[in-house]
Amino acid sequence: MNRRTLLRHAAQLAAVAALGTLPHRTWAALPRPEGWTEAEAALLDGIGDTILPATPGSPGAGSVAIGRFILRMTADCYPPAAATALRQVLARVRAAAGSRNWANLSAAEREALLVEIERRPPANVEGVAPWRHLKDLVLLGYFTSEAGATQALRYDPVPGAYRGSVPLKTGDRAWAT
Amino acid sequence: LVQANPITRKCYAFDEATAHFFAKDAEHPYVQEKPFDWIRGYQVGGKSLIWARQTQRWSHHDFEGPARDGFAEWPLTYEELAPWYSHVERFVGISGNRDGVDGLPDGEFLPAWEMNDAERSMAGRIEAAFPGRRVVQGRCAHLTEARPEHLAQGRGKCQSRNLCYRGCPFGGYFSSNSSTLPWAAKTGHLTVRPGSVVESILHDEATGRASGVRVISAATKTVTEYFAKVIFVNAACLNTNLILLNSRSKRYPAGLGNDHGLLGRHVAFHNYRGSLNASLDGFADAYYSGRRPTQPMMPNFRNVAKQETDFQRGYMVFFSAARRGWTRGQGAPGIGAAYKEGLTQPGPWGIYMMMQGETIPRYENHVRLSANRRDPWGIPQLVTSIGYTDNDERMIRDFLAQGRAMLEAAGARDIRATDDRRNPGLDIHEMGGVRMGRDPRQSLLNRWNQFHTCPNVFVTDGACMASTGVQNPSLTFMALTARAARHAVEELRKGTL
Repeated sequence: MNRRTLLRHAAQLAAVAALGTLPHRTWAALPRPEGWTEAEAALLDGIGDTILPATPGSPGAGSVAIGRFILRMTADCYPPAAATALRQVLARVRAAAGSRNWANLSAAEREALLVEIERRPPANVEGVAPWRHLKDLVLLGYFTSEAGATQALRYDPVPGAYRGSVPLKTGDRAWAT
Repeated sequence: LVQANPITRKCYAFDEATAHFFAKDAEHPYVQEKPFDWIRGYQVGGKSLIWARQTQRWSHHDFEGPARDGFAEWPLTYEELAPWYSHVERFVGISGNRDGVDGLPDGEFLPAWEMNDAERSMAGRIEAAFPGRRVVQGRCAHLTEARPEHLAQGRGKCQSRNLCYRGCPFGGYFSSNSSTLPWAAKTGHLTVRPGSVVESILHDEATGRASGVRVISAATKTVTEYFAKVIFVNAACLNTNLILLNSRSKRYPAGLGNDHGLLGRHVAFHNYRGSLNASLDGFADAYYSGRRPTQPMMPNFRNVAKQETDFQRGYMVFFSAARRGWTRGQGAPGIGAAYKEGLTQPGPWGIYMMMQGETIPRYENHVRLSANRRDPWGIPQLVTSIGYTDNDERMIRDFLAQGRAMLEAAGARDIRATDDRRNPGLDIHEMGGVRMGRDPRQSLLNRWNQFHTCPNVFVTDGACMASTGVQNPSLTFMALTARAARHAVEELRKGTL
């Protein structure tokens, strides 16, 4: 290997290393907890994308890997009953989709399906309301993700000052923090 | 982290990003004879890194009221402390308006933070409906403008980020770390010994004076004694009490200066139990930008010049109005694009109002040393025996009724009043135990914060307070400290200390 090739390889290695240290910009960086499958994470992504879909100017909750967020939070920050509650929602969604399968439903059909579940949600599991648990985490994970905070909302890390009187124009988005 | 810290986790500033600024419950045990949430920070800079930074002067009413009400007598007047308030305010940097309120004197202010449109409207309506009550913008230790004296400290303007509890890289708010410690280091005479646990103050029977401090290394438990002509004991209120109670000598078998059993007695705090939430219609096209470290406040309007209610002393009121964010969607029905778009817009206005009430230092409310429990350094644990009284309960009822009436006058609706029944201590405004006073039989410290009987020891933190006032206390501690330090230097120069 000549010197030029060596340098090129070194540069490529450095570039790969640099990429490896870039922060993940979605919840996909979170490891999936034990006991949950990638299919379940994907179904949660789809549910998230239905509750908070892509709209002009910002992506949907599914594209920030909301499923990983919901699973990780449920595993790490809630009592065990929350996992049971979450499985009940997923079971209800699968049952409602029936033989057609969630993956094959149109966006409108998915929305109608979830509206129905929200209207008559599964019963509480040891004090955890299954639907509420899932939906609260969809909102938390989405609006605190980079895309949610900076595209769906407005984010200003260093405002520099507080202005107490700012006229709000039609379409102005809320501050993320 | 949360499960391991059942007490500390209650503090508003405690989370994963700030946990290193808090003493951990399991590592620093104490005995709660009555429940007391003791929040502590043992790093260099202590609680100055995690304080809420609200800073108001006391008025002459606050210094005179305790004597009028017959429970304590301050040995100094507002007029004596006023120049020291000014001294501290200029150095620290306090934002505020000159409001001309009798019960809340103006200071040396940097530009005030703004009220938002909803708050300005509320302020006007409350003042119109309740003649004599004032709504003013909060005063706080944030640099709204960095003046030469602040730039010289290496500090810059507050950037309105609301990341204060992580320790501000701009020095935008006052902390010991951003301001006074680097300033002291410039003298070349400062030595900082982190990881030192003060065991006691040493007393020399021959001279009748304190001679030094016995310190245990937190890490190695090695004991070291330091000697000095003058000693300031400012370990934060309850730890100051603990050290002094543990400073037992032949002359002072019950703790330094404690000839009358009053050391550790008359501990008081601030009553934060009452709060109200409400909604405010209108102001749909009004918004704000940036994150503000203070909020509108109402100087005490109860029993200011004379006794008027069924409880003694009074309270300050703080409130803020803000538009609700995306969290309003949690628990609300909705699925799909319209639901999402709605949540990306500012929501309706919500109001939060809270009290900061004076509590009366009572002999019964005390701390003492445990007879049989020791901490990991062999120092007796502190026993807390501090509780509310009927006076506090009556004050809460009054605030919740007055708060409701004022919110109604301000046009609010859906008003919900709460008594959170929090334990004493979570206010983190504990004061007293080593109180100042004119009479050596009734107090421990004189008008210069020196022990009556051991004048080369000074206490100028919250432990010295003879009453609590309704104001956030730190500015007063700082003014008392600067005044006492000047006195100590003058006395040393004269050779009388």
